Amino acid sequence: MDFLGSELLAIAPVLSVTILSLLVLVVESLVTDSEKISYWVSVFGLLICGAISISTLDLTGNVFNHMVNVGGYGSLFATLFTTAALLTVVLSRDYLRKEHVSFGEFYLLILFSTVGMMLMAAAADLIIIFLGLELMSICLYVLAGFMRKRSISNEAALKYFLLGAFATGFLLFGIALLYGAAGTTNISYIVENYGKLAASPLFWVGLGLLMVGFAFKVGGVPFHMWIPDVYQGSPTTVSGFMATGAKAAAFSAFILVFAHQEFESGEKVHTALAFIAAASMIVGNIVAISQSNVKRMLAYSSIAHAGYMLAGLAAGNQLGRTGILFYLVTYTFMNIGAFGVLSVLEREEEKNLTFDDYAGLGTKRPFLAALMSIFMLSLAGIPPFAGFFGKYYVFVAAINAHLTWLVIVGVLTSVISVYYYLRLVMMMYFQESELQFTQPSSVSSLAVLTIAALAVVEIGVFPSSILSLINNLY
Amino acid sequence: MNLYDIVFYFFAFVTLASAGVVVFSRNIIYSAFALLFTFFGVAGIYVLLNADFIAVSQILIYVGGILVLMLFGVMLTNKVIDVEMKTGTLQTLPASVLVALIAGALCGIFYVTDWKIVRGVSAPATTTNSLGEMFMTTYSLPFEVASIVLLVALLGAAMIARKDRLPQIKNQK
Amino acid sequence: MSGIPLNYFVFLSAILFTIGVVGVLTRRNAIIVFMCIELMLNSVNLSLVAFSAFHGNTRGQILVFFVMAVAAAEAAVGLAIIIALFRNKQTVNIDEINIMKW
Repeated sequence: MDFLGSELLAIAPVLSVTILSLLVLVVESLVTDSEKISYWVSVFGLLICGAISISTLDLTGNVFNHMVNVGGYGSLFATLFTTAALLTVVLSRDYLRKEHVSFGEFYLLILFSTVGMMLMAAAADLIIIFLGLELMSICLYVLAGFMRKRSISNEAALKYFLLGAFATGFLLFGIALLYGAAGTTNISYIVENYGKLAASPLFWVGLGLLMVGFAFKVGGVPFHMWIPDVYQGSPTTVSGFMATGAKAAAFSAFILVFAHQEFESGEKVHTALAFIAAASMIVGNIVAISQSNVKRMLAYSSIAHAGYMLAGLAAGNQLGRTGILFYLVTYTFMNIGAFGVLSVLEREEEKNLTFDDYAGLGTKRPFLAALMSIFMLSLAGIPPFAGFFGKYYVFVAAINAHLTWLVIVGVLTSVISVYYYLRLVMMMYFQESELQFTQPSSVSSLAVLTIAALAVVEIGVFPSSILSLINNLY
Repeated sequence: MNLYDIVFYFFAFVTLASAGVVVFSRNIIYSAFALLFTFFGVAGIYVLLNADFIAVSQILIYVGGILVLMLFGVMLTNKVIDVEMKTGTLQTLPASVLVALIAGALCGIFYVTDWKIVRGVSAPATTTNSLGEMFMTTYSLPFEVASIVLLVALLGAAMIARKDRLPQIKNQK
Repeated sequence: MSGIPLNYFVFLSAILFTIGVVGVLTRRNAIIVFMCIELMLNSVNLSLVAFSAFHGNTRGQILVFFVMAVAAAEAAVGLAIIIALFRNKQTVNIDEINIMKW
């Protein structure tokens, strides 16, 4: 019993969010007008869960018969996911009211998908990665279609579901082949016996199929086709959560399986990753230019950002891993922020989402315009903000790994991306329009957006604060 | 060729032929019922591989659960009075190229891999005991996670498919 | 015992997987696409059971259970989504979903 107790304590981050989800579930089923209570329980619960995740950062080892890792890497991601979930929950309340779908189940699904994400990042076995991924995905399928009466939302859900389940098939076949080659699904066993397994073509095909599955989830070209439509059709705050939390979760599992010292000589894997990275940067950034809808532009930009992060993974060295983690932290804040501003300004029936609608925002809603500018400049990777350092570390890692061509592609496409990010900023400050932004924005939403913007600036000015935290992990 | 071989080829044929019907049939009801035979065929193969418990679960879960759910889906989304339940195809050419690649790669790899061992040597006679034990020991955590996945699916499905409910009914009154 | 080598089982699984992929890529009806995804999952299970027999451990069979549980969960959510869409659009054909480009 004592033994089990200590194991349960070791997985406290996952366990606390699970208990919180079940608590909200009970509230939902017992209380009639439950939305308000669910909201507050979620907000305070997530704060506590975040604190628990931080407190477990120093633990090491694995529990439950080598199923999950404890502390370190998993806890860092757990903290990131709870932060993303918290920001999303707070931003969503106003948004859901505005869209007349303020049901408490929304928070429940966000919490359960957070549990899935945390399991993915803490996984020590492919089974846990698979189950965590499915837990997260099933919640997100429902969240994508949360506005049930709007057909664009239904379609987003259906598309996400069908393509997601299709990708799951590839991922599972990959896991099955790895099991066939190794006789186990334990990740560290597979990594340790890499030299022996590498002789088997089964192993390589399995790894390749696994890569397809993960590349789909992070939205790397050519497995990106779902991203624009799903992000556009989903509720805006959910899109933000998908682009940050779900993407970070997929990357956490991607890194767990693919970023190991043992693989560093395995050039096949890294070449494939480098090509996916280059294709994502090119397609994401170039197609983003031609978008007139800001939400869709952000969707394409998220494909491009997945490309930058994949460049760090393709580098396959220590700096690359650090770079991706740093990038994910900064990306979470700036992208949730950008989608958050969108959700505040959006009106019913997907109005106020085009570039033209943002004309003159700088005079009408100066504070929101300033926040949006910070997020856009950071996404573009302009120096004082956090986005710059994310790209910088990833590119340096790629140069160290002799992937100079990839860095050239990355830098060129970053320059392209500056165009469409700045176009929005120019629109807000140097254009006029008759459009009024009448809808109110609540204090809580603005507070959350301000926190996200401050985080972007803080990490940009003092990148070492996050960097030292990440370096402690390895 | 002994009885085991004949049974294998029989189930393999049933599985692949009915899977072909699922994919290529013009009529969605035919597809759904062909899927039943695929599930049964796969269950038969499980028995040949000494996975008795899996075979029974396959029939219970896939045939008893998933297939029935799908038939409900078919009935609910096709106006049954309209006999026309036609389903067309699209983008055949790129699909066939991609599929040829996948099939070639998989079969090539399986052919090259050296494990042409005649099976049925080491697997235990009945798997139920060892499976149950592993669920409760080594795989206790994934087992719990799977239960959460099912709970979420229940909630999510009810949430998205139910009839409309107005938010804050009290206020509107 | 028998003369069926283990890779026959895996060949069967590979062919079944491929048939499933063909279906997903070519069919228009969302429910049929979903059926084809189930075919893919079945083929995964088949190879897992075959590998399990090959390695002589039951880990593969355990995995099959989790795949089945997840397949059931996906079926429930997927059909709910399909029904919700049908309520709004009166169609389940994925190329008639026109608001967004498929």
